[in-house]
Amino acid sequence: MEFILENILNLIGFVVGLIIGIFSYVGYKNTGSPTLFRLTLAFFSISIGFFVIWVGYAAESFVIKSGQIERWVQTLGIGIQTIGYFFIAFSHSIKAFFPKSRYFRSIIFPLFIFSGSSVENIIRSISFIVLVYGTIETVISYIEGKKKSTLFVASGLGLLALGEFLGWYSLVFPESILYPVSVSTKIVGLLALFIPVSRVSLRGMKFASDAEE
Amino acid sequence: MKIIGDILTTTRDYIPDENGANVTHLIRNANISHGRLSKILSTLVEQGLLEQTSSKRACKYKISSEGREFLNAYNTFNEFAQNFGLRI
Repeated sequence: MEFILENILNLIGFVVGLIIGIFSYVGYKNTGSPTLFRLTLAFFSISIGFFVIWVGYAAESFVIKSGQIERWVQTLGIGIQTIGYFFIAFSHSIKAFFPKSRYFRSIIFPLFIFSGSSVENIIRSISFIVLVYGTIETVISYIEGKKKSTLFVASGLGLLALGEFLGWYSLVFPESILYPVSVSTKIVGLLALFIPVSRVSLRGMKFASDAEE
Repeated sequence: MKIIGDILTTTRDYIPDENGANVTHLIRNANISHGRLSKILSTLVEQGLLEQTSSKRACKYKISSEGREFLNAYNTFNEFAQNFGLRI
């Protein structure tokens, strides 16, 4: 039952990420905007990440049937998603995230290097921090612009961050309900990101390669 | 990108002269130097987003149908990017 739920949740993540990615790509082709190009990379990566994990679960359910997804497949999927989260944060200028001060570097970098006992641990910690950064930047944008749809995006990124945190924590309690809760939280986060996208009309848009800046 | 959006919006909304907006008016609205504006205008004319019309006094610019389509896309996706707290 748990396997079926995780199959469905990862498939939803794949579809939602893909739709937002296609929307960003249409925007990039119509305007030539680098920001939209970064969002395209971000959401295609997130979508592919969910797809890889879904394939892992599907292969496990119908072919391998060992009762547990291959760890490397999960790590690969999460790694690809992390690239997507990085590009969202990068759009807000990632430079601000890494302080130049030697003192701060000496505190932050060891967290990346020594806190994780596995590659997945490290990747999840990076995802979490990058998503928190994106959430904070989006909240700041909301405070400046008071645009309600920005609040949906901030909530979405926040829920993705919470999902990553729970996923990270589920490594401590591998057989608990934490992992399905983590994936569900991430899906709700993606749906929150999708709400403002669904309100933008694509009527009259076309793939105009000659319309780039 | 924002400058291009501003220039196209100004030429679209310019009503007083059917031949289009003059350079002085565009400089005032886009808030950039004459040299920079000239380069951007020639690029926009080359790409077919603006039409250059000559009058006795000076060159004037008005938005083309492709320019209107581009501006429509720009406004749509600018709103999309703003939802993420970003600018295109």
